[in-house]
Amino acid sequence: MKTRSIYYTIAFLAILGCSPSGGETDPVNGGGSNGGGTSGDDFSTWSIPIDQVIDGGPGRDGIPSIENPAFYQANDPRVNTYMQSDDLILGVVRGGEVRAYPHRILDWHEIVNDEISGAKFSVNYCPLTGSAFAWESKVGGQETTFGVSGLLYNTNLILYDRATNSNWSQLTLECVNGPSLGDVPKNLEILETDWDTWKTMYPNSKVLSNDQGISRDYSVYPYGPYKDDHDFFIFPLSNLNPALPNKQRVHAVLNGTTSKAYTFDKFVGGKVVKDVIGNKDILVVGNSNIIYSFELNNTHSSLTFTYDFNGSGHFFIDDEGNKWMITGEAIEGPRTGQKLKATNSFMSFWFALAIFYPNPQIYQ
Amino acid sequence: MKKTTLTICLILFSIPYAISQTCCSGGVPLSNNIGLPILEKGTWQFGMFYDYNNLNTLNNGSESLNDDSRLRITHSILLNMGYNITDNFSVEGLFTWVNQRRNITQFGNSNLDQTSGIGDAIVLGRYRIINKPDYEITVGAGIKIPIGSTDNKSDAGITLNADLQPGSNALDMIYITSFSKKFSFRPSFNLSTRLTYRTTGTNDEYLGTNDYKFGNEFQTYLTFSDQFLLFKQIITPSISFKYRDVNRDRVNGSEITSTGGDWIFLIPNFSIYLSPRILFSTQLELPLYANVKGTQLTPTYRINTGISFQITKKREVKINTTL
Repeated sequence: MKTRSIYYTIAFLAILGCSPSGGETDPVNGGGSNGGGTSGDDFSTWSIPIDQVIDGGPGRDGIPSIENPAFYQANDPRVNTYMQSDDLILGVVRGGEVRAYPHRILDWHEIVNDEISGAKFSVNYCPLTGSAFAWESKVGGQETTFGVSGLLYNTNLILYDRATNSNWSQLTLECVNGPSLGDVPKNLEILETDWDTWKTMYPNSKVLSNDQGISRDYSVYPYGPYKDDHDFFIFPLSNLNPALPNKQRVHAVLNGTTSKAYTFDKFVGGKVVKDVIGNKDILVVGNSNIIYSFELNNTHSSLTFTYDFNGSGHFFIDDEGNKWMITGEAIEGPRTGQKLKATNSFMSFWFALAIFYPNPQIYQ
Repeated sequence: MKKTTLTICLILFSIPYAISQTCCSGGVPLSNNIGLPILEKGTWQFGMFYDYNNLNTLNNGSESLNDDSRLRITHSILLNMGYNITDNFSVEGLFTWVNQRRNITQFGNSNLDQTSGIGDAIVLGRYRIINKPDYEITVGAGIKIPIGSTDNKSDAGITLNADLQPGSNALDMIYITSFSKKFSFRPSFNLSTRLTYRTTGTNDEYLGTNDYKFGNEFQTYLTFSDQFLLFKQIITPSISFKYRDVNRDRVNGSEITSTGGDWIFLIPNFSIYLSPRILFSTQLELPLYANVKGTQLTPTYRINTGISFQITKKREVKINTTL
């Protein structure tokens, strides 16, 4: 009988020791899941329909952003071990520094919190909508970094800032939940092209290394057929616009509630287009590998621009004899040092533009 | 006497095995113990188990990545009930309560999302088609009934991902067969194997009107066990090897890349009769091999422990004490 009692006790303790309350402690954020933050802050209000905000699965920071990113020079032989010529990259040119952020790395991290000459910014890329931005890393005047919230709105990345834990919708370009609700990020210029084009344009570019201290296999695209299968969506979407294939990459220009898409097939062989969106004169330059656009002010709208890209250096010229880089900076001619103002634009899959900015025009 | 001995052996060897449901991160959000032994006509069986499943290993294929920032834990309380309609046919039901946790520890912060609630249930019938003194073969079939909720929300009011929900909102079919063999050189030694196949149904209300289907699953167990007397109590240590193969999940008919895979587990088990009718069992499940599709969290370890007991029509259980 005594032996039997011992067995009962062992059995009871074994079960008790494994009970849910016996193991874990609550998290630092007080059990705050996506959207949780400092006690007292209002996280109950969303400026977007909450029933269209989806938990993507990995959880907040389950997709780890890159902090203190490491780079190689473009001509470093190690780059050839993980970069292919046709790999898409995001390019940033600031203060003479040129950096490339490959999709193949961003597919796994989505956000890179970076700094050039003391100016901090966050490159953010959503693999599911193909959309990319560079945001100044400030919230309410306070420096911060951004992380991946694990939430999606219309299958697009929702970032969160680590200063206030507020949630930011990438493609609506605003804070949609939290103390910073309604704030808008400051966009910095960012381009998208293939690695071969970029390193030819900018041989001194640096490129994000494949050793960021986070164990991932960057040779693998994590979403299978997603970017090539126009009908495959991991998360539900409505109101798809059939005007173009869903996953076709477009250069999207915004002006208030008006949006316009520029497709690569219209720029084959190189082209410079003066166009109007809303009430704004714009200049769109590109070829089959890159498209970028600028606002034209009074002093620039009278110029006649011509595509003149020979693989390196300037991208277009004008009838005053100026030579302009793809970033809109005049590097030669009477306007040397002037810079065209970039439009409010981004690269994305067509479906994403059409969902977030309905009824976009398409440049024909 | 032989029949009773075989019956007791079967109880010991069959606790528990899992019908597990994969998730988009390769985890096991719902673990069920089914497969109660087929006993004498009129016998009731009851079991209550606690299951702790820890997924803290991030794999790319068969390669384990150096990243333990993601932790998925499933706590389950499992209640079995079985009744033997004849000496060769039994029915059983399994009811669950599930607590799913996703904890990310990254950049000095920790973020927890969790759901709790009644999970899906299983109803299963099994028939013993061969019952020889030294071996037996059983077959069975059942269904998983989607009574668990699938719309649990986070603290922020966001509906959580499918793999974090207690239920699946899909009716699954389960097929099972088992073989058990005793040997004359040591009657208490037993070799058994068990195969299960689960064809999953489709949740057609996933995030509104979309279809989500967890991958079909095949599992097989190979178990070696023996019995000993310890302080006049029967103890039954066993070692099992489990092979598990899960297809990729599908959303609206398209495969989700980082779901599904193949695993081999080692399962040491220890069982002891606390009384002639009450059995305590505990086991550890350790992965020996994991080859996931894409990059996924994969099981790190699992603990299952609990008590089962039986009530015979004559309110007695005969124990073979001639071991």
